[in-house]
Amino acid sequence: MTPFFFLVVVISECCSVAGQLFFKHAMGGSDGVGKGKLTAGIAVMAVGFFLWMGLMSKFDLSYLYPFDGLNRVLLMIGASVILKEKMTLNLWVGVTLICAGVLIVSRTGAG
Amino acid sequence: MDDPVAVQIPSDEVKAQAKRRKGWFFHPYTHLLLSIVLSAVAQLCLKKGATRTLVPEVWLGVEGLRSGWVWLAILAMVTSLFSWLYSLRFVPLNIAYNLAGLIQVLVPLGCWLLLGERIGLERLCGILLVCVGVFIVAQPLMRVEEKL
Repeated sequence: MTPFFFLVVVISECCSVAGQLFFKHAMGGSDGVGKGKLTAGIAVMAVGFFLWMGLMSKFDLSYLYPFDGLNRVLLMIGASVILKEKMTLNLWVGVTLICAGVLIVSRTGAG
Repeated sequence: MDDPVAVQIPSDEVKAQAKRRKGWFFHPYTHLLLSIVLSAVAQLCLKKGATRTLVPEVWLGVEGLRSGWVWLAILAMVTSLFSWLYSLRFVPLNIAYNLAGLIQVLVPLGCWLLLGERIGLERLCGILLVCVGVFIVAQPLMRVEEKL
């Protein structure tokens, strides 16, 4: 695993998290569907999707897919920064396990 | 926090509506399961399409759209999304989130059985750790996601 590969994975995951949040806020507004947010959501989702597909052509899916767990870690980091949400012990344990798992998977041959 | 999307407890009206629609097809858990299986299938199709159409030098896989497998994957993703949204009207979000963690098991299983990928002991251990982590995080994640 090269640092560049890791960067692409993280960007792709960030795009999908951002896309989900844009969608949610586009649908949840009191004044109907927010068109701007919906467009932004579709745009970042598409970037994330194509990056992910690019990654897929280079690596085993069983190698790549565990990195999707980082999606949750990013969401958690986002929440603790933006919302100043307290990180409970449960959360720390879960996040640590995901990161450790991803680290172990990344040590295996990329296939 | 009056976000209508964040309202999780099914109202009595919604429950009654679910009861009126009898039959296994309208059962919320059928759709929850369908949604989970379909998103795993989508990943497998995407992998098949990407391997066939993309060259290793390119990082943005737009070319993948030439493959039927990729369109099949997109169809599976969209169907999965609708099934997910339908089931969330009845199934408590914490149960749905915990079950959604199953994707982390289904995808590697599919890779092994359908794509013929070799999963060594080390990779298996890593995958299992991620799975456990995803299950542990599901509950607090759900609470946080409501607010984001």
